[in-house]
Amino acid sequence: MVAPEPDGRAMFKILKGVVGDGVGPRVGTLSLPKRRPIDTPNFIGVTARGAIPHLTPDNVGKRSELGGVYIALEDFMETTRKKTSPPLLEMNSEDIGPLHSFTATPSHMFTVLGARRHPAINSPIGNAKDSISIFTSTGFQKLTNEAYRQCVSKARPDVVIPLADMTYSQTTTFTETKRRTNVTSSKRQLRMVERTEDWLAEFFEPSEDGSEKALPSVFAPLLPVSYATQWEYFNQLEQDFSTKLSGLAVYDVDVLPDLSNHGPLVSLPRLSLDYTATPQEVLRQVQLGVDICTVSFLNGISDAGIALSFTFPPPSNSSAGIRPLGINMWSPEHEVAVKPLVEGCKCYACTKHHRAFLHHLLNAKEMLGWTLLQVHNYQVLSDFFAGIRASLSADPPAFEKGCDDFTKVYDSELPTGTGTRPRARGYHFKSRGGDDKINRPAWEKYGTESDPALAGEMAGLAVTGPAAEGKETPLVPDADAAELDRQGFAEISK
Amino acid sequence: MVSLLTLANITEEGVRFLSPHDGTPMLLTPEHSISLQNTIGSDIIMQLDDVLVTTSPDHKRMREAMERSVRWLDRCIAAHKNPDTQNLFCIIQGGLDTEMRKECCKEMVARDTPGIAIGGLSGGEAKDDFCRVVKTCTELLPELKPRYVMGIGYPEDLVVSVALGADMFDCVWPTRTARFGSAITKHGVIKIKSSEYANDFGPIEEGCGCACCTKGEGGLGITRAFVHHNVAKETIAAHLLTIHNVWYQLNLMKEARDAIIADEYPAFLHQFFANIYSDKADYPKWAVEALRGVGVDLLSDSNI
Repeated sequence: MVAPEPDGRAMFKILKGVVGDGVGPRVGTLSLPKRRPIDTPNFIGVTARGAIPHLTPDNVGKRSELGGVYIALEDFMETTRKKTSPPLLEMNSEDIGPLHSFTATPSHMFTVLGARRHPAINSPIGNAKDSISIFTSTGFQKLTNEAYRQCVSKARPDVVIPLADMTYSQTTTFTETKRRTNVTSSKRQLRMVERTEDWLAEFFEPSEDGSEKALPSVFAPLLPVSYATQWEYFNQLEQDFSTKLSGLAVYDVDVLPDLSNHGPLVSLPRLSLDYTATPQEVLRQVQLGVDICTVSFLNGISDAGIALSFTFPPPSNSSAGIRPLGINMWSPEHEVAVKPLVEGCKCYACTKHHRAFLHHLLNAKEMLGWTLLQVHNYQVLSDFFAGIRASLSADPPAFEKGCDDFTKVYDSELPTGTGTRPRARGYHFKSRGGDDKINRPAWEKYGTESDPALAGEMAGLAVTGPAAEGKETPLVPDADAAELDRQGFAEISK
Repeated sequence: MVSLLTLANITEEGVRFLSPHDGTPMLLTPEHSISLQNTIGSDIIMQLDDVLVTTSPDHKRMREAMERSVRWLDRCIAAHKNPDTQNLFCIIQGGLDTEMRKECCKEMVARDTPGIAIGGLSGGEAKDDFCRVVKTCTELLPELKPRYVMGIGYPEDLVVSVALGADMFDCVWPTRTARFGSAITKHGVIKIKSSEYANDFGPIEEGCGCACCTKGEGGLGITRAFVHHNVAKETIAAHLLTIHNVWYQLNLMKEARDAIIADEYPAFLHQFFANIYSDKADYPKWAVEALRGVGVDLLSDSNI
């Protein structure tokens, strides 16, 4: 018995698209087997080591509207002397599938498995004829196409992106999320296309033991090179694989307009794994016809202590000047601000807490601060996409005008946070020799930072400040509790 | 005022210390402390006390701290603006000297606060000294007031302190140890960070009812392997173990209450220690001694 081919056209319904056979923004519904359908355009969460950073799976299910997550296989592949096989592949979970079960992903959400993190760390080793280089928490490793295929059949994600031969550029700063694959050599570009073609063909070959295992839905990678370089690959996708594909994974949205030359591919759902540093770039992706975005700046912006504050369509009164895209919650102006992060936001953080508490949590380095920011920022993005869908469905469509207004109303860049971030691990960011530390050390040897006056005062040898001028620190503060409350926890004598 | 601040200078007026934030000198008096707690509005507020490390050999200073804590209690009671809505707890001091503790109990009980805390413990003293002090105090405290032993958190300490007559506790340990990658189970603490759990697809603790360990509706079905996978890497591992550890501690106290109501607390204690130690010879001596003092002999099977 042959299992029915997964068909992207059956699981993806286009409700409203562009006129004619062009490629552009469209409204649809993606329904993966056993998972809750999601309306598109939409976005999915990007995980680190199988988890949305700072959010436990119950909070992802209850406090976010996420319909799916992107998971990188390289996050699970580290091996040590004692642990020779990745635990994910050792797990037996018949009913819900090892990947879902291992990561405790809520059952209504679908999983998209790719080989590398998004954004990925550049490997100095490079890819080979039959393998790519992946970066695990214990170092770089080789992952062959065959090994990848076996991992996929064991882990059983809902959607898989076959291997693509790509090079990632090294970032210069930690906050930079826009990492382009700046491959300039045309020879290298051609090789990327050829290898990806071969690997995709191998991916669809029957497995060596001849068993008929139902593959997950396959989203074929479109490479970050020009259309002129990869049009033959597109032809191959169209002619040989279009019935086997359920969607496309787009690594550079600039190739999307040329999809119109390949009719059978047009109706497939498009997942963007291109980088976005601002919501404006997300809008541009939707304009070019992306159905599902992976908002690569989102986790980083929460780590930086920023609460996103934009909406789509943007507020109409443009007299308020250029609006910021987010609020720096580290800023001392929030110290006593007993108001939601964003007025009217319906997220858990905005309805249950206020800015002052969040500011306090960040200052106290309590992990809950980042949790609340993640809850808020994911909600802002969900509302943003709901706004995009509504404007596309409206009659007449209001999307284009909304995009124009958005550019006029909002700042062109996200604010950068001013405080310390959660500790970064090697798989988040690879520093190079001579780089400064991301965060200042939390404590130092006492007294090395020599302020002789302060040290003297502590030792009772010197008197400085008001006391030196004959003023005593008031023994009983001359303020009542209400006043102290306004000023902060305890009075500071100046 | 616990002297976690090494640079604090305590005088009769209050505690002078350098702000941990910016190093500026600050002064906290009993009045100021109560005024702040009145504004914060918590249900239970604590007096400002003068605390020494229990193990301090300075007997004179210890007595000074105890007597000062009593005087500060009077100032706190006088400054307390909301006695009808907020409950001021005194804090019994006196180090490891049972005579001094008795004296402090007598003085503080006379001031009739709604609840009584036993302070200054959990500072590195020997466990039998700790039990001796708790027992000395609880014997002198009135029946119908909550007795709060401050800073106590290991499961063994909780169940023994309950046997000695304590009612409530607070501790950072369950959540802090979670952040370090350890899970509390009824068979003892396990370090999930250890590589032996890398391929362990069981729940953090078999039979546990917390959100992490249960499956199905409301349960996450978290495996030890997944926690191990993220310990010391993603904050989620700390979150998951915190959920589990807090549930464990709350459930332990619930089981203790149920056992007391069913008049089966000695049997509960036997079972508790049997779950952790397979051999009675390994039972901690201090716990055996302390419980013997209140009529529970862990080493015999007679009073199950």
